[in-house]
Amino acid sequence: MAHIPDGVLSAPVFVVGGLAAVAALTFSLRALDDRQIPRVAILSASFFAISLFSIPIGPTSIHLLLGGLMGLILGPAIFPAIFAALLLQAMMFGFGGLTTLGINTINIAVPGALLGLAFRPAVARASVARAAILATICSALCVVATGLLVALSLAFSSPDYAASAKAMIATYVPLMVIEGLITGSCISFLKKVKPELLSPHAAGE
Amino acid sequence: MKTRAMTAALLVLCVCMTQPALAHRLRLYAHVEDGAVVGFAFFVGGGRARDAEISFRDASGRNLHVGRTDHEGAFAFTPPQPQDVVIIVNSGDGHAAETSLPLERFTARATPEAAHEAGPVAQAEAGAPSQTGAVSTLRPADLALIERKVEAAVARQIAPLLEAYALAEGRVRFNDLMGGIGMIVGLAGAALWASRRRRDRAQS
Repeated sequence: MAHIPDGVLSAPVFVVGGLAAVAALTFSLRALDDRQIPRVAILSASFFAISLFSIPIGPTSIHLLLGGLMGLILGPAIFPAIFAALLLQAMMFGFGGLTTLGINTINIAVPGALLGLAFRPAVARASVARAAILATICSALCVVATGLLVALSLAFSSPDYAASAKAMIATYVPLMVIEGLITGSCISFLKKVKPELLSPHAAGE
Repeated sequence: MKTRAMTAALLVLCVCMTQPALAHRLRLYAHVEDGAVVGFAFFVGGGRARDAEISFRDASGRNLHVGRTDHEGAFAFTPPQPQDVVIIVNSGDGHAAETSLPLERFTARATPEAAHEAGPVAQAEAGAPSQTGAVSTLRPADLALIERKVEAAVARQIAPLLEAYALAEGRVRFNDLMGGIGMIVGLAGAALWASRRRRDRAQS
């Protein structure tokens, strides 16, 4: 659903998406700390594997996006994680496409990066239960934001998609709930077992 | 700089070595059954595309018919005459898939021309003295009928095979999955190695 294939979007949309992705990746890789690399790889591998499996709903199917979870743990380092996983999915399975790689990266990673940054201080300070609730909200918002960005990408490419894009938003509602619950339980687990993971500036320093 | 160039070269090599996207998330399976295009739309990773828009076009891209898949993701359409048919399914949210059935696949539907072509052969056989009675009584119309029946029977027999093949091709394989994860671990290792080298060089 967030993997837009080749040939669907118009050229201006995927070119702009590609340029934005290059800029975000450059910025993100410059700021990347060595000690974050294994973390980025683990979450990238999780996203790569989990988002391959989809549940059919109506004319479409949904799969987990993990934007919220990755944003909370990685912050801006979410970009290389999503990019590497999407590149491999496109090359190995034809999920998404190579021309749309940039825009797909942006659609999934931007909400994660921004909302992750916004929620991270609060999650780091909060108790386990509160952190789980905050993480649930954060990831549900990420799903909505990704859905809106995908809908916008489609609507900008062709007005024909505008109507169906609205219908698509409805399929994001169950995903919001599922993803929220999963992220909430992951974060509450991490908060108990390895709380320093959620405050990256303190990690290992 | 050298490592960066090497990484870039490796990436380019990786991209060149892979085929252009083999599959999309949404895929289509179709075969010809008694002159009709029958099939279903499915998602790689599980499930059928229900109530998705499906269009049938001829070779020149003209729409022959536009419909929707049923609750099993299935569709059926009989083209006005045997011809190349391109089938396109679009779930409306950026998932689309396309497949085509060439004219040859439609031969099961015997046309008047086919019966006509078979005519002279049947007559020649009927005229030969060594032929058995059974063959000599065959009229062109019967021959065409037999041909049609055989084609239909073969199509019915191989349909499950084609279907299983399409599903197998559009499956997420465990090996591929592990390969991808291995690749990510490798990339992380390469990144760590590169950053270590940079730090060592800065120190020396």
